[in-house]
Amino acid sequence: MKIDEFNNAIKSKITGAYELKEDSDSYGNSNAWVILENKRDVEVVAKAIKAYKGRCVAATAYKNEKENTHTVVYHFDINGTIVNMQLVTDNQSVHSITPILKSADWAEREMREMYDIEVLGHPCSDRLFLDYSLVKGVLNEYISLSKMQTGLSDTDVLWSKINKGAES
Amino acid sequence: MSEKITIGPFNPELEESVYFKLVVDENRVVEEVELINGFIHRGMESLATKKNFMQNLILTERVCSLCSNNHPFTYSLAVEKIAGVEVPLRGEALRVIADEVKRVASDLFNLSMLTHLSHRHDLMKETLEIREYMQDLKETIWGNRMDMSVNILTGTKYNLNDEKVTFILKTLNEAEPRIKALQKAYQNDAVFKDKTVGVGILPYEDALEIGVTGPVARGSGVNNDVRVKAPYSLYALRPSLQPKVTTYEEGDVYARAMVRFGDIIEAIRIIRDVVADLPEGDTYLEKRPHIPAGEAVVRTEAPRGELIYYLKTDGSQKPVRMRWKVPTYSNWEALKVMIKGDKVDNVTMILNSIDPCISCTER
Repeated sequence: MKIDEFNNAIKSKITGAYELKEDSDSYGNSNAWVILENKRDVEVVAKAIKAYKGRCVAATAYKNEKENTHTVVYHFDINGTIVNMQLVTDNQSVHSITPILKSADWAEREMREMYDIEVLGHPCSDRLFLDYSLVKGVLNEYISLSKMQTGLSDTDVLWSKINKGAES
Repeated sequence: MSEKITIGPFNPELEESVYFKLVVDENRVVEEVELINGFIHRGMESLATKKNFMQNLILTERVCSLCSNNHPFTYSLAVEKIAGVEVPLRGEALRVIADEVKRVASDLFNLSMLTHLSHRHDLMKETLEIREYMQDLKETIWGNRMDMSVNILTGTKYNLNDEKVTFILKTLNEAEPRIKALQKAYQNDAVFKDKTVGVGILPYEDALEIGVTGPVARGSGVNNDVRVKAPYSLYALRPSLQPKVTTYEEGDVYARAMVRFGDIIEAIRIIRDVVADLPEGDTYLEKRPHIPAGEAVVRTEAPRGELIYYLKTDGSQKPVRMRWKVPTYSNWEALKVMIKGDKVDNVTMILNSIDPCISCTER
């Protein structure tokens, strides 16, 4: 798949501005980067990936401390070419692409619990890895081991359990 | 009448901790599958941002043991891409040798698990005995049976001399005929086939939609082997090394096992080809690389499938963000398709047929 070809597939449907760039490694593998201004356009890109029989490989999120925003990068594969879709969210929410690409299911759920980014319209509300007693967004800040060991929670669930055990 | 059955999180038939909640009908056929994860989540991606680029070589090698070489290998590729480093050709060759040795050992381990679960313990014993060739090789060349510490930024820290090359070839010459005989034994074993043929089927369309990778994908007729689709390292520089990929259409446990045999035999061919024409020169660059601000997405083919690393740097000595996605992460949801409609007795067999690595998946 050529990057220009992919650009032709999305350019007439994308509503906001976007930047398309390409890089490659020393082995000749090219990566496309689609940087979106309007985060609603994720669905347009996801539909184009699906049309090319592509899949969502992973998604990365990280917090931008100074701006108090989050960057989200989806990584797609179309027959050996990586397409990265990047966007910034200032209200900790993105629109889910899992209804379009089932392969994005886990990546979006993980983003939700690790960075507390709400994934609007995701078909599954269950936690992926972390227990419900743990707060969402554990990767948003540095948490010391001692705090983690005493129960990383915004409730007193853990201590109530221990106290209950001590009383009985 | 339906019955609720739970398996895990700790069970002798599970390699690692996972928890299944199943609903089965009166014939013990699974109607509903719920998978609960998170027992081995360690927050390693957060830890990676607290370590410098050298320390992260050590950390990534400890994500899991069976594919321990692939993590620092892929991580190194990401750093090298940002730093604009070209690894010496001999270093590329040595990386591929180590990677394929690990692939043989990992795949044989999974096959032994499948025969264990089929209660064919003589086959299991034979499989693990043959795996010892690779373990001995690892111990002799790299000094360790699991974590081999092969990769450093810009190349490899180990080297081969004539004596070691002879030892590698001698080991492969002894192992290969036994592996081929073992494959025939698996193919002709009525009990093993009874437990695996037609069990845990993942149809082609589901494999595509869920986005599975590695032997799970190839067992369902989907070839997305990174060594072929987006070749890296010596697979890119010497295209003749790219594997002749084994695919099956059946999508069952047996197909996935046979794909692994195909991978093992190709891995042996690749190792032989590399050592037969080992490039001369350095194994790494003497100059320590400067790692500027940048980001990179790279991937390799681990024994279980595609391993992808995302790395973002800001010019400091530590990553701003490092994210990795392992094959089991993509293959896990396929279990729901494989298990539903199959007998509850086959659940652990089906689970092991994806060669799950929970330590990798949960990080």
